[in-house]
Amino acid sequence: MKIELTVNGVVRTLDLPPLVRLLDVLRGPLGLTGTKEGCGEGECGTCAVLLDGEPVNACLVPIGQCDGRMVVTVEGLAVDGAPGALGRAMAEHGGAQCGICTPGMMISAEALLVARPAPSAAEVRHALGGNLCRCTGYERIVDSVLRAAAARRGAGEVGP
Amino acid sequence: MSVADLARYELAVPRALSEACALLAARVASGEPTLLCAGGTDLLVELGMAPPLAAGARPPLCVDLSRLPELRAVERLERDGARIRIGAGVSYLTLGRHELVQGALPLLARMSHDIGGPTIQARGTLGGNLATGSPAADGVAALAAHDATVVLTSVRGERRVPFAGFQTGYKRSVRQADEIITAFELEPLAPGSPWCWRKVGARQAQAISKVAFAAVAELEGGRARRFGAAMASMAPVTATLPATRALVLGTPLADLDGEALDRAVAADTSPIDDIRSTRAYRAHCARALARGFLRELGAAV
Repeated sequence: MKIELTVNGVVRTLDLPPLVRLLDVLRGPLGLTGTKEGCGEGECGTCAVLLDGEPVNACLVPIGQCDGRMVVTVEGLAVDGAPGALGRAMAEHGGAQCGICTPGMMISAEALLVARPAPSAAEVRHALGGNLCRCTGYERIVDSVLRAAAARRGAGEVGP
Repeated sequence: MSVADLARYELAVPRALSEACALLAARVASGEPTLLCAGGTDLLVELGMAPPLAAGARPPLCVDLSRLPELRAVERLERDGARIRIGAGVSYLTLGRHELVQGALPLLARMSHDIGGPTIQARGTLGGNLATGSPAADGVAALAAHDATVVLTSVRGERRVPFAGFQTGYKRSVRQADEIITAFELEPLAPGSPWCWRKVGARQAQAISKVAFAAVAELEGGRARRFGAAMASMAPVTATLPATRALVLGTPLADLDGEALDRAVAADTSPIDDIRSTRAYRAHCARALARGFLRELGAAV
């Protein structure tokens, strides 16, 4: 099936079996290995990407449903090739340890911060409810997102 | 796991409901197996966990329902007593944010925030939740509490089924193979009326309910003139609690007896021990949730 979609701002044309998972297309033919596979069944949020601006689990999205749509992966959150406020806050404030859940956490946080530039801690927790971390616990991740939100407001930085 | 088999499936992408119905009718008439896919949050998991396909086997055709505009609308039906029609393909994320839903069906909006997490809410749909037939489906308990009408569409036209008549057994329903669940029609809750959504799970997000309780009520003169309630994970189908409803509707709230309420709830449910919970804990939760809501309504139970 011919599929044309925009990934991180670049139009990509693919010819693939339609039920192949978006996750496998990103990590395989598109070479975007920032998105990780965790459980593969929608439980952990590790493979989260933005689909038309909404956070989804790429392991549960058939590529055939992505024709004409816009995907943003963790690579797309970079600003001029370097981590944006979210990535910096995760690194600087202990939000990332082993790093496997971090891309999904950042995607869910990005979706939140676009809609709510000044979220409460409770709103951050709700937004990250579908993302599991087995290393740090959640305090430092929530803290990192709140710090990134403050930095973005201060710097006038906006998401992609 | 047979994720590799996903590469062997074909996907039909109809752009209008009539096209989808015609395709489904033709498939059913020729006896060819067909799968329907809305948000894919159950289907992709099931296909991934299914045993590997035999070497020469042709997998069922998958029909994509996500491009059908007819399944995506939320509207007030002015011609029909201001009932609200919700497309079966509306995502939980949209449902939870929708102004009309928040105002007229607050239980439905609140429940939508408790489905999986935001990544599941962005893809999961009410229609899919009902179609897969899980008795643990939170969205379906909310539909049942509102006595929603299920709208089924096929080449033969539209058919309306009251919720109480839709499910016929564990993962079985009156839906015919050529019918698509297209919408739900719900009676708005009178402004300011009490409602309850409680989900008991291992954690707040990403947990399948041990028990979920959905209820709405409209009160007048010390009685409930409207009382709808349902429970998930308490029976082989969504429990619609007929004895409990009859007791509450037939008794002035001040006269309602707690033990009689417990007996009605017990008669309406048949909880089991499974991986998520125990029969005893579920029965306890069911009694406590029903009593809790009735206390909110003013009953001394």
